[in-house]
Amino acid sequence: MIEVIGLKKNYGRLEALKSISFKVDSGTVFGFIGRNGAGKTTTMNILTGLIRFNQGKIFIKGMDFLKHKYKLVKLMGYLPETPAFYNYMNAYQYLNFIGEIIGCNSGKSGSYTAKLLEMVKLKKQGKRRIGGYSKGMKQRLALAAAFMNKPEILFLDEPASALDPEGRVEMLELIKELKDEKITIFISTHILNDAERVCDKICIIDEGRILLTENLSQLYKTYIQPIFDIEFEQDPGDKINFLKKLGWIENIKQKDKMISLYVKDIDFARKEILKEISKLGAVISSYRIRKSTLEDIFIRMVSKNELV
Amino acid sequence: MNSFKAYFKKEILESVRTNKYLILFVGIVFWALLDPLMLKLMPLLLSNYLPADMSALFSDFTRDTAFQSFLKDLFQIGTIFIAFTLMGLISNEVYHKRLVFPYSRGAEPAGIVLAKYIHYALILSVFILIAFLTNYFYINHLFEGGIVSIVIVLKSSLLYIIYYCLLLSILLFFSSVFKRSLVSGITVLVLSYSLSIFNQFKSIRTYFPNYLLLEATDIRYIFDKSVIPIIIISFCIIIILVFFSILRMRKIDVA
Repeated sequence: MIEVIGLKKNYGRLEALKSISFKVDSGTVFGFIGRNGAGKTTTMNILTGLIRFNQGKIFIKGMDFLKHKYKLVKLMGYLPETPAFYNYMNAYQYLNFIGEIIGCNSGKSGSYTAKLLEMVKLKKQGKRRIGGYSKGMKQRLALAAAFMNKPEILFLDEPASALDPEGRVEMLELIKELKDEKITIFISTHILNDAERVCDKICIIDEGRILLTENLSQLYKTYIQPIFDIEFEQDPGDKINFLKKLGWIENIKQKDKMISLYVKDIDFARKEILKEISKLGAVISSYRIRKSTLEDIFIRMVSKNELV
Repeated sequence: MNSFKAYFKKEILESVRTNKYLILFVGIVFWALLDPLMLKLMPLLLSNYLPADMSALFSDFTRDTAFQSFLKDLFQIGTIFIAFTLMGLISNEVYHKRLVFPYSRGAEPAGIVLAKYIHYALILSVFILIAFLTNYFYINHLFEGGIVSIVIVLKSSLLYIIYYCLLLSILLFFSSVFKRSLVSGITVLVLSYSLSIFNQFKSIRTYFPNYLLLEATDIRYIFDKSVIPIIIISFCIIIILVFFSILRMRKIDVA
């Protein structure tokens, strides 16, 4: 559905995207995850035709994006992270305005607008001016605008960032429903739990570079890495610093009395870990081995990139 | 065509909700009413403060001088209202990222620019025509003498309409170039006032837009063929600037 090859984008001297390439299959949910400033929004803005790029090729449905931009963007819907509206309009007027741009006839667009507002739970407030909406309400209206005319590809930039917990769950449910309707969804988020729940494929971007692109199931198989969670009776403090020098330990995360050790060799770690921990002289209250989550994989990939 | 229709309706709604129509109406039509009234009342207001021979100077207005005074004030003050009201036509949309949704749903830059230009060109034309007819009505009732007729008034209004349509295209173009709307507003004002200097040079003034205003104040003729070149030049400039605005909107990063 979407193929990006060697995409580069510079803002003056800053290289926002450093030749990124990836593929998004039709009817899948593609999770684009990365830290703030990693290049997620820039990539989305390029793919939706809002900003230009310096180098590379984009193919959507096999068509060159630059040559068929106006035809292709009509197949897309985009939910920006901070949507901007005409504040003097109400939700009905705004959606009808977008509907007219797309080319929905007014009768069809009118009833469809009401349905969309019902879907995003804004029907009651539909006749209020958008200027008086909360951030979450604007986000929901933006989703309705993005979903106008049932796009084939939906770009969602941090769709749950302004929503309350209930709204976030509803958003994830909605994405799952859209997935069932075979709509291709490109979602950028840094809420990794959300990505884990809805995405088929994950792409990690950091500092304008793609660190990995993998199917979620394959990702767990490939990047599965045991983590040793060790809880002490008292905060071990700086005592754990010497563990960082051990070659078989890749990373250490500490939270109060708990430390998580990311190891390179599971078998070696099993034999050595308790010996090394005993050198701390601290009392262990619990010890367990767990499988890595998407968050663990993300942190691992990003810290590797930092070392590079 | 879809984008044109959508944006034309949006511009109407926006102008109503943000009082742009009201501001432009006051800026253009208000002077048509105020100017003759002020001229009529000025001798009465000044009679107690000026010597008799001086105040006689202010009571010597005819229909012609009252009409010319209105034209001068409309240019000097009306231009400020138009420039500052419409300076953010495009730049405000880009600056506040309001084009993100329309562009991401396939809005055509040509449709957006043309809708904005045609909408405000029509509004300015209607308001200018109303202003000229209002002024004609009042000067006929308040003053005597002079040769100004309805045909002359219509000719002058037409020349003013062409001038302000040209100014609108310059405003639209600068608004697409500069990110800050105030920059385009001030640039257009400076350009508009400074071009009047060329009216002092007889050999070249017929090729500069402010000659349209000079011709509008000339009430001796209904049609003077010296105005033809600048009318043609004005239409060419309008087409070129609208075209370049569209081109700029095609290249601009809206997010």
